[in-house]
Amino acid sequence: MTTTAPVVAFDQVSKAYGAVRAVDGLTLTLRPGETVALLGPNGAGKSTSLDLLLGLKQPDSGSVRLFGTTPREAIVAGRVGAMLQSGGLMDEVTVAELVRLACDLHPKPYQVNDVLARAGIAQIADRKVNKLSGGQAQRVRFALATAGDSDLIVLDEPTTGMDVTTRQAFWATMREQADQGRTVLFATHYLEEADAIADRVLVLHRGRLLADGTAAEIKAKAGARRIAFDLEGTIDEAPLRALPFLTSVTVSKSGSAAGSGQTIRIQSTDADATVHALYGLGVYPRNLEVAGLGLEQAFVAITAAEEAKSK
Amino acid sequence: MNSLIKLELTRALRNRKFLFFSVMYPSLLFLLIAGNADSTSKVDGTGLTLPTYMMVSMASFGALTAVLMGNSERIAKEREGGWVRQLRLTPLPGRGYVFAKTASAAVVSLPSIVVVFVVAAVVKDVRLDAWQWLALTGAIWAGSLVFAALGVAIGYLATGDAVRPITMITYFGLSMLGGLWMPTTTFPQWLQDIAKWLPTHAYAALGQAIEQSRAPHAQDIAVLAVSFALFAGGAAWLYRKDTLKA
Repeated sequence: MTTTAPVVAFDQVSKAYGAVRAVDGLTLTLRPGETVALLGPNGAGKSTSLDLLLGLKQPDSGSVRLFGTTPREAIVAGRVGAMLQSGGLMDEVTVAELVRLACDLHPKPYQVNDVLARAGIAQIADRKVNKLSGGQAQRVRFALATAGDSDLIVLDEPTTGMDVTTRQAFWATMREQADQGRTVLFATHYLEEADAIADRVLVLHRGRLLADGTAAEIKAKAGARRIAFDLEGTIDEAPLRALPFLTSVTVSKSGSAAGSGQTIRIQSTDADATVHALYGLGVYPRNLEVAGLGLEQAFVAITAAEEAKSK
Repeated sequence: MNSLIKLELTRALRNRKFLFFSVMYPSLLFLLIAGNADSTSKVDGTGLTLPTYMMVSMASFGALTAVLMGNSERIAKEREGGWVRQLRLTPLPGRGYVFAKTASAAVVSLPSIVVVFVVAAVVKDVRLDAWQWLALTGAIWAGSLVFAALGVAIGYLATGDAVRPITMITYFGLSMLGGLWMPTTTFPQWLQDIAKWLPTHAYAALGQAIEQSRAPHAQDIAVLAVSFALFAGGAAWLYRKDTLKA
């Protein structure tokens, strides 16, 4: 990186559509080389944030800087490659012609053939753009975003329309981009992708930054592990609820053939300590399961907590 | 920007339907209208034979087709489809998109003018001085910019669904009422009074003035100039509005 300015700097950025605050006082900084996932439900302000970041929309207040300059200046300097969900393609031209255009327009272009190969579309280079499947079109968009040597790659829901195999191949390509020292920012609905690929996760909710950390930290924030077990007979719930590191406990009738019993489900921020304390109660838990809470559940928990707070 | 112009052009030349309507169709229409006309009787009040008169009308019509039909619909569709947004993520200057569209349309409109001239000269023996042929080509070609601006304005005004009917109504309305398909002297008086204020009428009148070896009417020049200012200003305003919204 030639500059010490952050790759992306949002300072108190707000954008409203009528009464709806799509982005509300957003402040964040991306540093060089990070792979960052932008997570949030529909309407959380992800696409608006990316539009603001790329200068497609102007904030009502606050400032957006890329590499210490305006978004447009950064784009003109060839420092940003972007793939938008809403980004269309030019019809009735071939894939190769379109990618050549993107290379021609970029100040620091790569070879057309290399771009095609890296995006995995070399074999459909002569096909007309309007005859592509959804997943192929996404790869063409990716090729347009990586037509030159940009420092920041921005991707909005990049794997929409791809099947599982293509998706994996896509992320492998994406990792190569990140490994070359680029900063990668992507918005996604596939939360397991954020978990697997990003080294930093930003959770956006109602236009505000709800959480900012590693995927592991985000999970921890919501109560990271789920403990489930059966107990025979009836048990006093009070000592269970007093176990350390709990975030929630539910007790239900167990459906096991062993007869009357209960199933206890616990969420804990430190499962080891909770289970250790559980045995200390002198009970004999059966069918004990300790499982990680997927980011998806973590995410649901965080947003639910946020909504409860705001009521 | 050159690469975008090149690609727009490649695409236009590949589109057979578009080429037919902008390059071949005006010549066919010319033959249909002027085909049986003798070369002595004159169009009322012009001193020009029907083939000579219609040659300019049809060349103007062809240029109008090339610059209006392709652009308005493509711009509206590409705005809706997001291609315009995607281009804004490249270093291409904002106006480059509109400029490339207009430039590629201008390249297609040139043959549509010349083909009508060739057909008129070969089939209907239309004879003019060399300077008249050149001046006609230049005037009709340059005049088509007025309608290129109109095409861009419609492209930024209309949505993807509405753009075709709006373009068609504008296109046929301007062509017919402006007298590109038949001399306006055949219209009833009240319609003639309307027609003479249309930019298409002024456009064809410019060419006919060259054929008559006289200076164009000030009114025609004024109508074209005002139309161009209106269309180009409207296109620029709509473009800026669209950019802020997108």
